[in-house]
Amino acid sequence: MTSREWLALSVPLAPALAAIFVCVAPRRAVSPVGLASACVSALVAGALAAVALARADDPVTGDWLVVDAAAGLFVGVVGVVGLASAITSIAYLGSAETGLVRPERGPRLYWGAFLAFWAVLAAVPLAGNLGVAWLLIEATTAASALLVGFSGKARALEAGWKYLVLTSLGLGVALLGIVLLAPSVSGGLGGLSWSSLASIDGDSERLTVAFVLLLAGLAAKVGWAPVHNWLPDAHSEAPPPVSALLSGALLPAVLVVAWRSDRALAPAVGENLAASLLVAFGLVSLAFAIPFLWRALAWKRLLAYSSLEHMGVLALGLAFATPLAMAGVVVHVVGHALAKALGFYAATPLLSHAPSAASRPATGIGRTSPALGASLGISLGTLAGLPPSPLFTSEVLIIAGGFQAGRTWEAAAAAALLALGFLGLGHALLETIAGRTHRRAPGSPVGLRTVIALTAVATVALLALTAAAPWLPGSDIVDALLETS
Amino acid sequence: MTGFVLWALVASGLAVVVVRRRSVVVAVVTAQALVLAVAALYEAETADDVLAGGALATRAVILAALFAGVVARTRERAPVHARVPPLLRAGLAVVFALALVWLIPDIGLESRDAERAVLTLVAFGIATAGLRRATLLQILGLVLVENGLALAALELPGESSVAVELGVAFDLMLVSIVAVVFHQRIFGLFGAGDTAALRSLRD
Repeated sequence: MTSREWLALSVPLAPALAAIFVCVAPRRAVSPVGLASACVSALVAGALAAVALARADDPVTGDWLVVDAAAGLFVGVVGVVGLASAITSIAYLGSAETGLVRPERGPRLYWGAFLAFWAVLAAVPLAGNLGVAWLLIEATTAASALLVGFSGKARALEAGWKYLVLTSLGLGVALLGIVLLAPSVSGGLGGLSWSSLASIDGDSERLTVAFVLLLAGLAAKVGWAPVHNWLPDAHSEAPPPVSALLSGALLPAVLVVAWRSDRALAPAVGENLAASLLVAFGLVSLAFAIPFLWRALAWKRLLAYSSLEHMGVLALGLAFATPLAMAGVVVHVVGHALAKALGFYAATPLLSHAPSAASRPATGIGRTSPALGASLGISLGTLAGLPPSPLFTSEVLIIAGGFQAGRTWEAAAAAALLALGFLGLGHALLETIAGRTHRRAPGSPVGLRTVIALTAVATVALLALTAAAPWLPGSDIVDALLETS
Repeated sequence: MTGFVLWALVASGLAVVVVRRRSVVVAVVTAQALVLAVAALYEAETADDVLAGGALATRAVILAALFAGVVARTRERAPVHARVPPLLRAGLAVVFALALVWLIPDIGLESRDAERAVLTLVAFGIATAGLRRATLLQILGLVLVENGLALAALELPGESSVAVELGVAFDLMLVSIVAVVFHQRIFGLFGAGDTAALRSLRD
């Protein structure tokens, strides 16, 4: 095994071992051990991301493991969001109560499930085999469902239950698609490596059905409309650090598997069908999200519907698959993860400052707590695509990529829908920052200092991303992603 | 696999859609999985095949113990009524299965009967999860889907992948354990494992 393969194996292994440590650590040491383990896991993920992106033109592609530019990008995102979620978990656990297990067992359950979720999540982009990728995605459901229902409240249980049942059913459908593919590859289910799938040969009708079932099943986990019903509930009811990990890292990680499957099977089912299915999911997701972005929703629920919109944008970028669109995808994945995670982290101090924001829109926060208002504003402004947000640049790149790919009508429809989404989120931004104020809880909001520090770091990173975006088309990273396409 | 066994699997799948008592449904899905495990071991040609069959049997026994335990711990005063009456449920499930068989003409399994049985079990599992209100029965619907997919793996021509089959069994156990944790908490909060109590999240 090469050093890169060892490093790739250590990416999921570090948080997996940490999850075991947390389970046996003394009760007082659980949170410090969890946080320290998260730092080590993030360091390993960062190292792999750096190596994979630096050697984007020389990927490792085995039957079970793949270390390429896409893996590097997404493992890096998991590492960054994972670490920030771990840091904000301390403040969350200090103020939260758990009803899922006895209170004294809460932190152990939280950190154990959190690190186990991280371990399988980080392994998803590295999977070199569709069967293994499916197993890992299914495993993320078990670990993260516990975290979604962590508070044990009725709404959290409802969200966790929906998440568990709907995504498991979706993945069952995806597995049926995988079973349909198996007779066409040598080695049965074990022969489903991305490279084997690229040269798959068999009954075209069966392969087409398998492809549609596979993508439709994965769509349920990515959160693409119309099979997204679990997403707004799970993201709004999970603990804020977990919502960040779900939205910023889990959805894009599953998206990688959908994209790898799409690209691998495109020669067998036809380029047009493979791209059109992604375009359809993208446009339908945008169309479903827009009406909700125009409504006055509770903060976390608004962010959840924004995830639906952004997963739609990514589907379009991957379908267009031109240098411009792919550069847009890279910027969008990173920018969305940073801004969305920041928005969810800010929910902990927000709910302490304005408890009604759990079920009603947050308004006038900039007037009563300027620092918190700034965090919410930077997050929402970025997600809306307000210049100089990197998401503005990425959306422009993706739409330009659509025109470049000759998909004029699809790109124009996406532009119109994104403009409508911008107006909805723009209105929500104004209301959140400068709307009518309501009675606020006295005292300093819980975890505000941590969120202010993360806001500063995220702002610098987002501006750097905007500055780097124009240089991405034609770069080694984008070229490597296009080669996979 | 003989036609009789396939028919028995399909008939027991339909029972999962209509039967009211949770303990009976647990027994039915366990029996299905054990039949599949015995068939896998009977037809095993390599050590990997034996391991895959063993994994299926182990999964069946562990899930049976888990679900039987949770049924005993969370006794319902009366069975949770589904939104849709049993006959209509059965009708909808059969129509869904026929549609699936019609839409997916050829899976590539060793016999067309096995293909139809696989698609029917998957359809019945989805119908159970979608049409029943009891939390435990929704999860047993997922297990029914996985039983159908295990049948497909068994009837695939050529070699099987023991790693993937072990992984599928392990994942199903993980999901079932988490579902049982949720079921117990829902039962503790509302006095019944009824998803009708979980309807507050609406936009």
